[in-house]
Amino acid sequence: MSSDDSRAISASPTFDTQAPTEAAGLEAERRSPHPARRVSDRRSNRPLPPSVLTPPAPPPPPHLDDYGAIVGQSQLDTLRYLAKDLKGKTIKMVNSTAVGGGVAEMLNRLVPLLSELEVPTHWDVITGGNDFFEITKAFHNALHGAPYELTQSAKHIFLMYNEQNRKRMHFGEDMVVIHDPQPAAIVLARSQTPAHWVWRCHIDLSNPNAGVWEFLSPFVEQYDAAIFSSQSFTRRLPIPQYLFYPCIDPLSEKNKELPDSQVQQICDEFGIDRSRPIVTQVSRFDRLKDPVGVVQAYKLAKKYVDCQLVLAGGGASDDPEGAAVLQEVKEAAGNDSDIIILDLPPWCAIEINAIQRASTIIVQKSLKEGFGLTVTEALWKGKPTIASAVGGIPNQIMHKLTGVLVHSVEGCAFQMRYLLTHPEFARGIGTSGREHVKENFLMTTNVKRWLLLYRILEQTKGRRPRAA
Amino acid sequence: MATAENLAEKPALRHPQKPFYFNTSEHLVRIGRQRAGNLCELLTALQTVPDDSIFQHTFRTLQEHHFIRQGFSNDFAHWSLFACNEPALAEQFASVDVREFTAIEGLRRRMVEILDEFLQSHNMSGSRAAHEPFYFCASDIVVLPTAFTADTLKAFLNGLNQVSVHSIHHHFIEARLRLHCMSNDFSQWLQAEVGLAEPADAIERIDIYANTMEGVRRQIARIVSQAMN
Repeated sequence: MSSDDSRAISASPTFDTQAPTEAAGLEAERRSPHPARRVSDRRSNRPLPPSVLTPPAPPPPPHLDDYGAIVGQSQLDTLRYLAKDLKGKTIKMVNSTAVGGGVAEMLNRLVPLLSELEVPTHWDVITGGNDFFEITKAFHNALHGAPYELTQSAKHIFLMYNEQNRKRMHFGEDMVVIHDPQPAAIVLARSQTPAHWVWRCHIDLSNPNAGVWEFLSPFVEQYDAAIFSSQSFTRRLPIPQYLFYPCIDPLSEKNKELPDSQVQQICDEFGIDRSRPIVTQVSRFDRLKDPVGVVQAYKLAKKYVDCQLVLAGGGASDDPEGAAVLQEVKEAAGNDSDIIILDLPPWCAIEINAIQRASTIIVQKSLKEGFGLTVTEALWKGKPTIASAVGGIPNQIMHKLTGVLVHSVEGCAFQMRYLLTHPEFARGIGTSGREHVKENFLMTTNVKRWLLLYRILEQTKGRRPRAA
Repeated sequence: MATAENLAEKPALRHPQKPFYFNTSEHLVRIGRQRAGNLCELLTALQTVPDDSIFQHTFRTLQEHHFIRQGFSNDFAHWSLFACNEPALAEQFASVDVREFTAIEGLRRRMVEILDEFLQSHNMSGSRAAHEPFYFCASDIVVLPTAFTADTLKAFLNGLNQVSVHSIHHHFIEARLRLHCMSNDFSQWLQAEVGLAEPADAIERIDIYANTMEGVRRQIARIVSQAMN
């Protein structure tokens, strides 16, 4: 276990981790150490703000009533009505990590909220050796379509650790939710319990490695239902499949409202000039996020409109590929002093929040994407957002209604120019984008979906086909 | 709740005999097995998918996008424009007002008719691959009470202003599928129980496609307020 893992685990489950939130990067993030790193401020090379060098203390988790001012009392009433009939029913969530990444971040908030609604929810984390997690990392990549030769030995190790965890855990709850492929074979315990068994898949299964999927699908078919993050991530299965969008917590450090003075202070620390337009992409330095493409688009747009470009992310200090990408970005930026490149540690949630809030436009020009929660964060802040039409982004951005979708560097550049010169249109899509998030992608909606699912599974019990 | 038959018998502005119970409906989206990769496949699917799928992509999607003032009507129109680049077809789909239908079957027939006619006159368009597939979904629905019940016009107005937009959608838009008539729960109650025939008609005429659901709520509230004064 890395030293950083120790830090985070000691604070769990209330640790408000702000590691990149895409489920696709879960395993990598869980395993990567995050030594206090240097913040690279390309423009000024100024001394680093001490506040970002060490992780801040985690804030206490919010209570349900804290969300009332954001989503409205009627939404909280709906949650309470839904929970009333489930009072005393219990749920178990099982995943593969207590800290780091989107699933743990989401469970950190979901579990206490369900329990507050008197639906006691327990969270168990599977254990395994390095051999197990190496295999599940390979499965993860293979399920995203990477080539992989599944060996008998890998199958044996996967099943052995699932069996160990099955024996270690107790399944006395009324609904058992298994997250992602790592613990998927635990479903073999379902014969010992009358519970509803649900598989929550956070990854894109639209183009999986055939061998790995053939191995896993017999387990998946034994669940009562499967949940996916987008319609386009699914497989043909004999069980009902539900759509649960990933969500953000509007009260987390990364998304809560900030006083303007704090936004100003953070911009000052990073040399961002708020008196001029700011175009921002928040992402790891990863080729799939196409930061070089963003620089190219900015340069095309800059011929017509004055603006600064902020590329804020991480991944360059603990990942050799990230460091190489960062170097490519610096080379693409050249001597342009209006390009500000920030390689931030994963705990810089407030800083990311402030930069997003200070931005005039936010870009997510990914070449490939999971759901794209950085887009959700941008929309929640009411920012006009330009994003590639990949992964789950079209679920969030309806072209010209809640943001704009692009397919190329040139398209991205044109939309930068258009939005910077048509502030009323930009404001309109920003407002609709925020409403879209409020309706579909907030933690409270996620709580509602789990309550609805339990009720629906209860109503359809006995009518569902069961795989042999 | 009052029925359509006894509307005419009610005197104007009387104390309601039956309270108005504000309910709401919550939906969980179920991902279906059918998908369409081009307009021909969409036509086939439109003819065969279950009613709850047609409901999802018309009535329900309107609820999900209640905050959009203009430019959104239903998922078929949106997909035709942005995935198939067929603006004329998108306009025709978008012109379908779900409130003209009291049963899903009629709505399905209308959508099929539009697409069928379009493909007859644009035979190259049918097999052209869409930019992204259309994934047919459906909803599992749970109807819930709210904290609001109205036995006076004042209480009705209060409830109207307090409930979620999902409740407004439930009573104002989805209601016609439940009532099987061209009306809505609000108009029915105002006419039958309070005798407000003209305001009931005015509420029924509110254009849901040129308003957000919050805008619809405000218009209903304004009509009721004027009737009270």
